[in-house]
Amino acid sequence: MKGLADRHRLSPLALAGLSVAALVMVAPLLWTVALSLKSNAELMRDSGTAFFAPYTLENYRAILQGSQVFGWLLNSLIVSLGTTLGVLALCSLAGYGFARLEFPGRRALFVFVLLGLAVPEQAVILPRHQLFADFGLHNSYPGLILPGLAAPFGVFFMAQYFRGIPRELDEAALLDGASRWTLFWKVLLPLTWPAQATLGVFTFLASWNDYWWPLISATRSDRFTLTVGLASSQMNYAQTSGLGYLMAQAVFAALPILIVYALFQKQIVGAMAGAAAAR
Amino acid sequence: MKSRALLRLAAVAIMGAAMGCAPEERRTEISVQRFFGECGAVYGRSTEVAAAEGECGIVTTLINRFAAENPDLDVDANVVAWPGYAQLTAQIAAGDPPDLVTMHQSVISDYQARGLLEPMDDLLRQAGVRPEDFTAAGRRGVTKEGLIYGLPWDTVGGLYHVNTGLFAQAGLMTNGKPVVPRSAEELLEHARRFKSATGRPYLIQSQVNDPATHVRNLYTYLLAQDAVVFPDPQHIRLRTPEARRVVELFRTLEREALTTRNQDYPAATASFLNGEGGVFLTGTWMLGPFEEEARTPGRPLHDSYAVIPYPRLWGRRAAFVDGHAWVAPKRERSPEQRRALARFIGFMAAHNFDWSRTGHLPAFRSVVESPEFQALPHRSDIAPLAAAGAPLPSFVQRQAAIESMVGEELASAITGAKTVEAALRDAERRVNDLLARL
Amino acid sequence: MNAQGRRNLLQAAPFIGPFLLLYVGLLIYPLLDGLTLSFHRADPFGGRAFAGLENYARLASDPVFGQALGNTFKYAVVVVPVLTAITLALALALNKPGRTASVFRGLFFSSAVLSVTIITLIWRFVLTPDAGLLAEVWEAAGREPVPFLSHPDLALLAVAVATIWWSIGLPMMLFLAGLQQIPEDIFEAAALDRANRWTTFRRITLPSLRRTAVLVVMLQTAAQLQLFGQAQLLTAGGPGGASRPVVLFIYETAFTRWELGYASALAQVLFVLILAVTLLQFRAGTSRREP
Repeated sequence: MKGLADRHRLSPLALAGLSVAALVMVAPLLWTVALSLKSNAELMRDSGTAFFAPYTLENYRAILQGSQVFGWLLNSLIVSLGTTLGVLALCSLAGYGFARLEFPGRRALFVFVLLGLAVPEQAVILPRHQLFADFGLHNSYPGLILPGLAAPFGVFFMAQYFRGIPRELDEAALLDGASRWTLFWKVLLPLTWPAQATLGVFTFLASWNDYWWPLISATRSDRFTLTVGLASSQMNYAQTSGLGYLMAQAVFAALPILIVYALFQKQIVGAMAGAAAAR
Repeated sequence: MKSRALLRLAAVAIMGAAMGCAPEERRTEISVQRFFGECGAVYGRSTEVAAAEGECGIVTTLINRFAAENPDLDVDANVVAWPGYAQLTAQIAAGDPPDLVTMHQSVISDYQARGLLEPMDDLLRQAGVRPEDFTAAGRRGVTKEGLIYGLPWDTVGGLYHVNTGLFAQAGLMTNGKPVVPRSAEELLEHARRFKSATGRPYLIQSQVNDPATHVRNLYTYLLAQDAVVFPDPQHIRLRTPEARRVVELFRTLEREALTTRNQDYPAATASFLNGEGGVFLTGTWMLGPFEEEARTPGRPLHDSYAVIPYPRLWGRRAAFVDGHAWVAPKRERSPEQRRALARFIGFMAAHNFDWSRTGHLPAFRSVVESPEFQALPHRSDIAPLAAAGAPLPSFVQRQAAIESMVGEELASAITGAKTVEAALRDAERRVNDLLARL
Repeated sequence: MNAQGRRNLLQAAPFIGPFLLLYVGLLIYPLLDGLTLSFHRADPFGGRAFAGLENYARLASDPVFGQALGNTFKYAVVVVPVLTAITLALALALNKPGRTASVFRGLFFSSAVLSVTIITLIWRFVLTPDAGLLAEVWEAAGREPVPFLSHPDLALLAVAVATIWWSIGLPMMLFLAGLQQIPEDIFEAAALDRANRWTTFRRITLPSLRRTAVLVVMLQTAAQLQLFGQAQLLTAGGPGGASRPVVLFIYETAFTRWELGYASALAQVLFVLILAVTLLQFRAGTSRREP
């Protein structure tokens, strides 16, 4: 059983390689944190000083004093959570429908949905902006959430996951007299928790980090998401005069997500066990 | 468990958002949108205009002050990410533009030609602001087809920011003033002398990601030679001896390493602050920060900073300038709202001196001539810009797009990736291709 | 359609209906609207004049578009295989229980939480020849810093490196998930057969990951051909357009030039190209029979 034990341990060589790779991965992040802890005036002269003390929290203090930052944070949370919940609901339903139900045109419709994966956002953003203007949806939460809900990847992902669940389960449930709906809701959906977790995390991330749509849809500062709000704080030449502040903003914007990831990392990685899309 | 916690979080969030929209009393509402950054962290609700520093600080306190002095108005101030035109375009397309918005004078013709801006003559009259009081550059900047489309707020242009300490080392100072080259040959000669004396490049330029730098130089020296760049609204003319001359000069400076290379804007700024070159070619907006460095003992620029307009190398003295303005997008407005806008415009006009502390030149002649403005450091040296500065012809649309095309091609010529001839040809083709379809 | 078909459709409607409605309304309708737009001269404010195929004829002879298209494919051809290989290797190495592997997984995932505005800011300060992190290291070693962001041959590469760094998270997760789905007993059987690690890897692991790999390659190809933010914010497409991808060109055309018709035509062409490439990949990846 040596081979088996082997596969569960990192060899010293692999460990060394991974450590180097991890260093490359983390160095830019540490650099960012270091810059965020320096005074702007000092960085304007030489960003190399970030390697050395003195460090300061003045940039973080400035962010927290910015009256609107918490409002933006709240907007981002609402939009990202709303998008995530919506995507999970819609894609679970549709994924189940495509994976398990027989109906005319199923294959063609599925391909039609997959086409969406190839649509560049720039190809739809302007007509969509006009559409939302016609419905008065700009500067509103629905206006920010809705575009994220047309997520072909989510449907594909959930469909593949449902396909991986043995059909015997369905047959047994249907024999017991369960309706299609009960089967979906009570039997199959609970089994997809790993896929939900994965899709949820990626949807949340994509929504949290979205930039162009909120930039042109939420034009009022009380409706900004965090990404757009922080961008609005950058002056035209802020990179020179407020580098430390800018970097502190970067850290601040990433922090909530890092915390979420740290809390859920077991579920996310572990859960993906079954979630492999392509089963 | 987890999902319940998430739900609760969402519920709290939604309620919080709902509470934000409390009912308010009936006051006339005006919406004002600007760029220049968000600095509520530092200035919050401060109305101490005189104590504020920098573009963001001054404009924030000015708007706060206006709101405080006009309690009967509900001033909704919105800050957009620089430069904010994607958002403004989106807002206009959605039929919901702000009442007043900051706009570069070079951009006005885009919106004006499409009928999206209101002529401002009436509003100005109502505000008691007379266009005759604008500076020449300011008035040119907001006048389109004979009508005035904005309140000019300043004039912004390129300047020669000089490290006088290094200039002295190179023997380029007389009577405490930098020696200014009077021709392209003399500039090269100064640059070579400077480099051998100090070991540093004569010029500092931000050439990466910054098309404006090269375009500012080109336009300025084309204006100086009275070259016609835009013979009509559909054409640009760049394959001329005048243009070649200018580009060749900067190509030579680059080839002989008489300028910094591969620097973007922050890098070039840091270089100048650290005394790594003689002249930084950048705009009026850096005057304040550099002046502050010059006052700080121990810094490389301490007591070593001067600033002058671009030297006359060919033809006459000229400068390509732009400026900021407040413009009013077309939309329905009640008479009360118009009166409120007039008050805002009058207020901003009256506080033009405060804004000029940013380093930009005032848009009102009376302010340029005022003792308090002249008393600000270096302002008398650069004041000629307000009279001599000229924008592109007012019929030229898409100036921002043209600037990035021309700037991109100029950069290729100056770094040597293309020949000067090929770059000017490509620039001309690309710009004409754009203009032909307006 | 027969009665059975209608009944089935009715049964499926509540499941797929809501998604399809939003999908058509928010993606397909704007896409078709964009297609219409591409046959017009149009600006963002509703001005439209029919122009037939003018925009398409124009893009066929636009050297800037040609350059952008070349950049986009050059970039995708580098990024997709490299990213796939790196993330596969990482997943293989980190598909282990225990704290160490978990910490590493976290580290390699961490960049995925940053938004594009932030990662470009970070990489500017890593790559810039003045005072960038690499420049500091280079100079400490007594070397002349390399102008990654302004050299015509390096700018696109710089964008690629930043993107790979940023994009490791999702594909690595997908590969990890794929690995965890391989039943443990296959490996045990292989171990009993005294198969060496290489054979096990080649005969069991790789074939089991094939569908995941196809998925990763397709998703990444579609995503990388839509490169935009990184290029816009890191190099602005420069120098001389050497790192301008098609989507950045579309953005400039729409937002700074207000040529909505032309921008739409460009977007339609890009859409068709992405579709063609990903479909080819899908066919290549699924044509052979499953092991």
